[in-house]
Amino acid sequence: MKFSFFHLMPYRWLPADFRERYHGVWVDLPNHLYDPVRGHQLYNEYLDMLEYADQLGFDAIGVNEHHQNAYGMMPSPNIMAAALARRCPNANILVLGNSLALYNPPVRVAEEFAMLDVISGGRLIAGFPVGTSMDINYCYGQNPATVREKYREAHDLVIKAWTTREPFAWNGKYTKLRYVNLWPRPIQQPHPPVWIPGLGSIETWDFCADFGYNYSYLSFSGYKRAQKMMEGYWERLAARGVDQNPYRGAFFQQVCISDTDSACEREWWPHCNYFFNNCLHLYPGMAGAPGYMSEASMRAGIVAQVGNTRQNMGQDKSWKELCEGRYLVAGSPATVRQQLEELARSLKIGHLALGFHIGSSPIDLTNRSTYLFATQVMPHLRSIFADAEDRWSPRPLPAKERTLPGSQNEGARRQAERPVAS
Amino acid sequence: MSTPLSRLIELGKGRPTIEVLEAGQGPALLFLHGAGGVPAWEGVLPLLERHYRVHAPLLPGFGKSTGLEYLEDQLDLTLHGFDVMEALGLERPYVLGESMGGWMAAEMAALRPKEIGRLALAAPVGLWRDEAPVADMFGMMPHELVPYLFHDQSCPPAQMMHAMTNLFSEKDDRTQDQVEILLSLMRGFRTAAKFLFPIPEHGLERRLPRIVAPTLVVWGTGDRFLAPLYARIFAEKIPRARLEMIANAGHLIGLEQPEPYARAVMRWGEGGA
Repeated sequence: MKFSFFHLMPYRWLPADFRERYHGVWVDLPNHLYDPVRGHQLYNEYLDMLEYADQLGFDAIGVNEHHQNAYGMMPSPNIMAAALARRCPNANILVLGNSLALYNPPVRVAEEFAMLDVISGGRLIAGFPVGTSMDINYCYGQNPATVREKYREAHDLVIKAWTTREPFAWNGKYTKLRYVNLWPRPIQQPHPPVWIPGLGSIETWDFCADFGYNYSYLSFSGYKRAQKMMEGYWERLAARGVDQNPYRGAFFQQVCISDTDSACEREWWPHCNYFFNNCLHLYPGMAGAPGYMSEASMRAGIVAQVGNTRQNMGQDKSWKELCEGRYLVAGSPATVRQQLEELARSLKIGHLALGFHIGSSPIDLTNRSTYLFATQVMPHLRSIFADAEDRWSPRPLPAKERTLPGSQNEGARRQAERPVAS
Repeated sequence: MSTPLSRLIELGKGRPTIEVLEAGQGPALLFLHGAGGVPAWEGVLPLLERHYRVHAPLLPGFGKSTGLEYLEDQLDLTLHGFDVMEALGLERPYVLGESMGGWMAAEMAALRPKEIGRLALAAPVGLWRDEAPVADMFGMMPHELVPYLFHDQSCPPAQMMHAMTNLFSEKDDRTQDQVEILLSLMRGFRTAAKFLFPIPEHGLERRLPRIVAPTLVVWGTGDRFLAPLYARIFAEKIPRARLEMIANAGHLIGLEQPEPYARAVMRWGEGGA
């Protein structure tokens, strides 16, 4: 199995009466609630957490894109990835990802991902989410009727830009460019591995099958509720004659580990409570702009779309309910080991994206959890799916061809700082 | 309440198929509906059918009309309006449009000024002023939208609409009929959003001076969805337009004050002022 530390980067300082005073954490939450000085501290603290995961031997460290909210402060994940690429020499960089329809022209994504791949020596995983309706429709004004078609066209353009060695013209419906000619282009050939986050639509499964992409199921409802969804994915692949390689799937799970089960509840409950009840305080009036969902999804999810986003995502639940429902995998290293093994085997997924930072958790608590995972849990789960070939991880440059950040200055210093010749 | 006749019209290959509701005898009146569609033959319609042959085509996504995929942008939508007019055999008709339909009617009259005989716009969308933002009908819960649509929240149509929005509540005990009602509302909103999301303004203001059809602008004095500020802009920018404010009406003038609204439309149809 492969393990990544996936960070959401929530804002930690929402006021105590936030839920009563504001209808949601996203889109129109006024930014006078954001203190940029505290934000400065938070960004650096959060990046420290990811750097620590790099030191502990995680396969990847992950960031994502959201806009205008206190749930996740990464409107530009590529900026975070760039900061990590320089400071973290080991782990792959999982950007999950860039919402393709938001970039004009989408070549921008091809360029920035290529830059990240080149800077990091070929360690980039390129994620292409459609994006939540809050992000892409309400914050970024994309038309819900056409945004999926625009996304697909942008995808085709990015892949072609990555894989074409001569300038070409792109006459798309949404993007028209006389000259597409990517400088730089990625190290990884033919292009970095692509992961597609989704929430269970057949269209997305087929998209992944068509192009051989990893399907990443990102929910906060935990692995028990995800089982049916992932079974649908594997059945769809089987029906289409695609192999059942577990590395075709990634799953996000929030995890907290303390020395004992009871210490875990005591230490983590306030921060998990902050996450489920503040960070996921979503206004249902902006859950899905009209047309964001297909007619079939609309019919299937008619209740979910119009009012009950709260019922599924863990709000107003006790610690016990969150743990029993596996919204959280929480407890001692032994408890977490057992539950994550169950997760891996029940979902048959090879890539596990783990949320170790939850809600308002501070760095000492978070790093303790990360450390316990890396030393007490990860080694026991490593061998699961050892027989399968992971074709969805980066293929970086060999170590001897990699340039370490700062190493060039060391070599140049003597010459640069020599006395001025008279 | 009378029942209009419904028929389907195929506009041709690669074009929508639309449902048209028709009732009444007299000169033709082309009625272009708002984002709520024509869920019932109510409001101003039963009053107008006493004097007009009322043709109410439904946009794709509303009623039994299909083919939204053939209409990509605002120009397609405006041309679709002329396709429908032609299919109905209407020449230089009197066109009445409400809200979204009013915007469409104004665009049609500005694009091909000589093909619209007479125009009545009832609280049309299509303009924008920062000091009076149009309510975001695509970014709120249905029960939150209703107060924007009525002047008097206690009037029976407002109460009925409030009751209907309860279908959107978190309860999971809807009948199949109720699910279908919800889905049809959502389909209509999807059509509206395709042309009006996220800001219902696409340059109509600079085209308004092109309109030559004698134009009546009707507005409720208590419109909370589209502030009466917009009524004055329409009336100023459309040459020789007449503005008629309807007292004690909100955005859905036809549901709250159908009689004075219908009288204004009919007077205007007779060439009166």
